[in-house]
Amino acid sequence: MRRIRFHGRGGQGMKTASRIVSTAAFREGYDTQDAPIYGAERRGAPMAAFTRIDHAPILERGMIAAPDLVVVADETLFDDPQAGVLRGLQASGTVLANSAHAPALLRERYGIVPALAVLDFTGLVLSHVGSLAALSVALGAATCRVAGLCTSSVEQAVQEELEALGLSADRIERNLDLARLCYERVDVWLPVQPAAVPAPVAVSRPQVVTLTYQGPWRGTPSVAAPANTPLRKTGNWRVWRPVIDLARCTQCWMCFVSCPDGAIALDDADTPHIDYEVCKGCLVCVEECPTHTIHTLREAEV
Amino acid sequence: MSNEPKAYRNIKDLAREELILPGTPLCGGCGGLEVLRLASKVLGERVVFVNAAGCFTLLALFPYTPFRGSWLYTTMASAPAGAQGVRDALDILRAKGRLSPEEDLQVVVVAGDGSTYDMALSATSGTLHRNLDYWYLCYDNEAYGNTGMQQSSATPFGARTATTPGGAGGAVDGLLGKKDIFEIWRAHRPPYIATVSPRHPIDLARKFEKAKQLKGPKLFLAFAPCPTGWGYDPARTQAYARLGVECGLFPLKEAVYGEVTHTYVKRTWRPVEEYLRGQGRFEHLFEPVRQEALLHLLQEGVDRYWAGVPR
Amino acid sequence: MTRELLTGNAAAAWGARLAEVDYVPAFPITPQTEIIETLATWFGEGTMPGKFVSMDSEHSMLTAAGAAAATGARVFTATSSQGLLYAAELLYTVAGWRVPLVLVNVSRALASPITLEPDHNDVLAARDSGCLQIHAETCQEVLDSILMAYRIAEDPRVLLPVIVNLDGFALSFTREPVTRPSLEQVRAFLPPYSPTHARFTAARPMAQGIAVLGGALYSFFRYQMHLAAQNARAVHGEVAQAFREAFGRRYGLVEGYRLLDADYALVMSNAYATRGKAAINRFRAQGIPVGLLRLRVLRPFPALAIAAALEGKKAVAVIDQNLSVGFGGITVAEVASALYQERDRPPLLSYIGGLGGKDLSDAEFDQILQDLQRNADTGHVPPPRLLYTEREDAQTTAFLEVAGKGTRHVE
Repeated sequence: MRRIRFHGRGGQGMKTASRIVSTAAFREGYDTQDAPIYGAERRGAPMAAFTRIDHAPILERGMIAAPDLVVVADETLFDDPQAGVLRGLQASGTVLANSAHAPALLRERYGIVPALAVLDFTGLVLSHVGSLAALSVALGAATCRVAGLCTSSVEQAVQEELEALGLSADRIERNLDLARLCYERVDVWLPVQPAAVPAPVAVSRPQVVTLTYQGPWRGTPSVAAPANTPLRKTGNWRVWRPVIDLARCTQCWMCFVSCPDGAIALDDADTPHIDYEVCKGCLVCVEECPTHTIHTLREAEV
Repeated sequence: MSNEPKAYRNIKDLAREELILPGTPLCGGCGGLEVLRLASKVLGERVVFVNAAGCFTLLALFPYTPFRGSWLYTTMASAPAGAQGVRDALDILRAKGRLSPEEDLQVVVVAGDGSTYDMALSATSGTLHRNLDYWYLCYDNEAYGNTGMQQSSATPFGARTATTPGGAGGAVDGLLGKKDIFEIWRAHRPPYIATVSPRHPIDLARKFEKAKQLKGPKLFLAFAPCPTGWGYDPARTQAYARLGVECGLFPLKEAVYGEVTHTYVKRTWRPVEEYLRGQGRFEHLFEPVRQEALLHLLQEGVDRYWAGVPR
Repeated sequence: MTRELLTGNAAAAWGARLAEVDYVPAFPITPQTEIIETLATWFGEGTMPGKFVSMDSEHSMLTAAGAAAATGARVFTATSSQGLLYAAELLYTVAGWRVPLVLVNVSRALASPITLEPDHNDVLAARDSGCLQIHAETCQEVLDSILMAYRIAEDPRVLLPVIVNLDGFALSFTREPVTRPSLEQVRAFLPPYSPTHARFTAARPMAQGIAVLGGALYSFFRYQMHLAAQNARAVHGEVAQAFREAFGRRYGLVEGYRLLDADYALVMSNAYATRGKAAINRFRAQGIPVGLLRLRVLRPFPALAIAAALEGKKAVAVIDQNLSVGFGGITVAEVASALYQERDRPPLLSYIGGLGGKDLSDAEFDQILQDLQRNADTGHVPPPRLLYTEREDAQTTAFLEVAGKGTRHVE
């Protein structure tokens, strides 16, 4: 069985990617199972999706705890312990990551041990289709390649899934071009699996623990710590970074007032400063600045 | 609340301090969050937000809270009843000497349109009838947002939602208009009701400041442009808020004990079409074929409203 | 201390008054309405300082109750049946907030068909919610259980809402002698509510009842509720001991009536247990060694106490005044679970009786005894049985005919 786990943020299309892979495998004659898991329907929050592919009926359910392949749409998730991007992945597994950085840099920065394929899928998507929604197709197609599925299956899957999403024939065609491109660009494959030999069951110490009563203070989902959401570092969400040209800024307060998250603070001279740890990159400030003093940079290049 | 009311003349009168910190899971560019943030600057730190199920429920997600104030998540239908319990308990504890006056809090319900317009009508009406001394802030993004943008009774005429997907050829299922929650509230004659917009911070701040002087229910209906649900680039949230007001679609008004005053009136409003264009949820009104009859109906609805407003 | 005639509802109202509750959000429903009317009068005339508020529904009522408790007030409320189910979501929610309050449920059978008379499907529908449950047999026990319930609920080892159940009509509207303690006596037994973790004040901002994502976190918090409920067995024991010392009356998780030397046992709960005791006396007068086990605390479920009480019995008959449609009696299944691991567990005979307040006659108790004796002789365990008499059957048939349903026919 191939167990593929996709990690992304809500809105990055990993659910669709997992479905493209699943549909491609299904059309190629495999048994498949795919599912998303997300907390709530929100843009930006980490989510995961799963695809299982096998020749035989699949007797597994739920979260893939031991993936062969992990696909990462947003490299900043490597840093997020709650996302658990590499959890359960053996050294013999494979990682496919969306990043403009070199593989060696990612390896070092995030401690990635298994085989790693890195492509700037975001760059490809922006230049070929123009809409980040197509990240689903880019990563979906690339994953199909890594998993050993053939081009015709991929094309059929992209066609089906995008039709189901209601895209026009025109846009589907451009997405198919993108799919072919990404499929070709991948240079790593999952190792061929040997015939199923049951692995010897290692005798290990029991890991199930007994919970004890903690009292109502600890045992209730309340928060007594004062405002602590900045710890979540939603600056990770950004694709584009707003940058204020302080020389041209007229200290009019508009950006400070307009930021829905309150990520811009004013100093004693009324000069605005964006907190890049938390700025989500919505770019409302760029739009609202009356003197067009805020410009944008691609986050990957910063 | 017997202090001298603060005057808001321009945006530099707004408090600098953030009482709702960044880092929440809400979408970037959330018009509703902008309203809550601005309102909190006027309300201050000594508040307890009582929340109904909706997008904002994710503001406080264990182990995090963005608030300098307090928060209680209740249920989708009964946040106003929760507010009743908190307000009553605070009053009782004060009366019995178990809570000092400095420890007292303002109670602020925060709810989306799904809760406000539909499920929570009974609970809300109850608090208005009982003249509960509390605040109610509805962030209206015109659909059930947290569950994926399904139609609510706040969904405007002609809007595409997940449950009014529109048929082939541009036909629209969503031919129901928006429920007039302002008038439903107003029938109870509470001390204060106002509509507010994230792009009109002075108007908003003045209204919250004015309401501070009044005891009883103080209700706010906030225009909450939603990039995720309405289908536009998040950067344009404030632009759409401004257009919604400039096209006359979202009247800025207040009602003091039921007496209505509009706080922003123009001789001529911009054509509604300028607001509709560019929003994915209204795209079918323009592509592949212009839905002239529906566009006309929408414009007519706005015109009719303002024809009824005394100058 | 006063001895007087009180209805179950009046006893409940006195329980709240003597506990000096701060806040009563209310909504009327038969057969509890007398409770809130009495409290409204006392709040209105100033006898009870605090606030009484009529809410717009039971769902709102229980929200307000929980929110006030989360703010730091001592709260009381009451409902029944349809109202309890309308508020069902809040039973789980408020329990999850880990705040104390007492909710009196005056049990009433559930629609459909809509009715007014008692059975226990309403209160038992709450059994998974995290609210503790105490079921009263007498009006005295109603008052006493409310006082104990506050002390249990407010204990930091517990901090869960407590439902005190009393049967509609059989107790709610029935007067019987009740010893009403004085306020001073109660104050010595029940200290004021001093919130430990849940309160709202300006100095100490708190986010309560918030969202949790992630199964491990959710499991942790849910299980803490369960551990707290488990703690309540011991806490109940301590509180019952203190209650006995203060007022002389004794309560356990269960009550055994002529049970110790009995060969057979009936298991019942609530007001009809009195009927059961009368039947026991009748059988004993005939020399038959039968006793009764009355279940009193249903949550936390007193498995050990039940197993201990029924140990060595030759046969046990459980009378459920409830019905899980498609399954059978709820209590008999829970009793079975308590006995399952016992080496010598007695046969369990299951009876459904008293649904919608249906009478339990001597003839029906006789039938049960006959089945118990037959089981002792032959080992035969009859299938679960609905207690229903010939006369009732004839009456039902007659009514159906009046309703235009024709005469009885066999499908």
